[in-house]
Amino acid sequence: MLKWLSPIFLSVLLAGCEDPNWHTSDISDIMPELDLSLMNENGQQVEEDAYIGKTTLLYFGYTHCPDVCPTSLARMTAAIKKLDEPARDDIQVLFVSVDPERDTPARLRQYTDVFGPQFIGLTGSTAQLDALTNRYRVSYGYGEKDENGNYDVSHSSGIFVFNEQGDARLLMRNSDPIPSMVSDLQRLMERG
Amino acid sequence: MVNKLRIGAMTRARGKWACGLLALLLTGGMAQAQDLSLKDARLSLLPGDMPGAGYFSLHNDSPENVTLVGAQSDAFKNTEIHMSMEKDGMASMHAVPEIDIAAGERFEFAPKGYHLMFMHRVAPLEVGDDIEVVLRFADGQQLPAIFEVVSPAAMH
Repeated sequence: MLKWLSPIFLSVLLAGCEDPNWHTSDISDIMPELDLSLMNENGQQVEEDAYIGKTTLLYFGYTHCPDVCPTSLARMTAAIKKLDEPARDDIQVLFVSVDPERDTPARLRQYTDVFGPQFIGLTGSTAQLDALTNRYRVSYGYGEKDENGNYDVSHSSGIFVFNEQGDARLLMRNSDPIPSMVSDLQRLMERG
Repeated sequence: MVNKLRIGAMTRARGKWACGLLALLLTGGMAQAQDLSLKDARLSLLPGDMPGAGYFSLHNDSPENVTLVGAQSDAFKNTEIHMSMEKDGMASMHAVPEIDIAAGERFEFAPKGYHLMFMHRVAPLEVGDDIEVVLRFADGQQLPAIFEVVSPAAMH
């Protein structure tokens, strides 16, 4: 009887851990709060305190990425446009380039401007980028240069979402539909 | 009489030309490559010399299999066929030398998958422009098509 009950008990217990109201993945207990040291689009060194006070989306990419990065950023643009107008000022997207060799502050500004006023470009030294990517357990890497000097960069594809205090809350994946992202962002912005 | 004949010949020539133009219009810019056509051809444009992406649906309505081996546009120095992949939360991209499209099949170039990568822009381009891109096939066929230049913010 106990043997038969335990899997049910266990599944009820596990279900209790997961908040059924989030559509994307809850990372509150597994990821640390926002902590970064990088260079912004104006070439200034910044820390996480510059971004506390707004709901923050963190994405790693590079500007010589014509397909995956713009598509992911466009999904965020579409989700942000679905929020009420005042809420759109309370959200920001940190686009962290893991390709500092090509992505200068000026280029990052040009790139993020395409997607909306909420988008902020950041990059940094290898040590700074490694500290941040290690913190969120993601990685990046470079392919070989071709005869024109072009190279591909591999990078994580998820979006880390932090509340306005900078606590890690959600991970949004490319497979999450835009309405799920909108619903979770609204809920996070209301309740923190 | 001589004049009349001349007019007749001219009208026929004009008719031929008009027929050709009509065929060109009906087949959506398909000139050399019969039975091959592109639909929804778009070029997602990034600013400066950042590379753009080309998306379309390639229809092979011919009885033969075809192999796409490349593409070219006067607005960019290099154009390559690329494929994006996502595995274990990591996104990567690599060049693809050729793509086979079987007779009667269609092949999608779409966001987060196959795309043309347009590199090193050499002509000014703006969202809303139309540009010609020529697709090249292994058997020597060339398929010119018009791509609409769109904002990447609209591609999701």
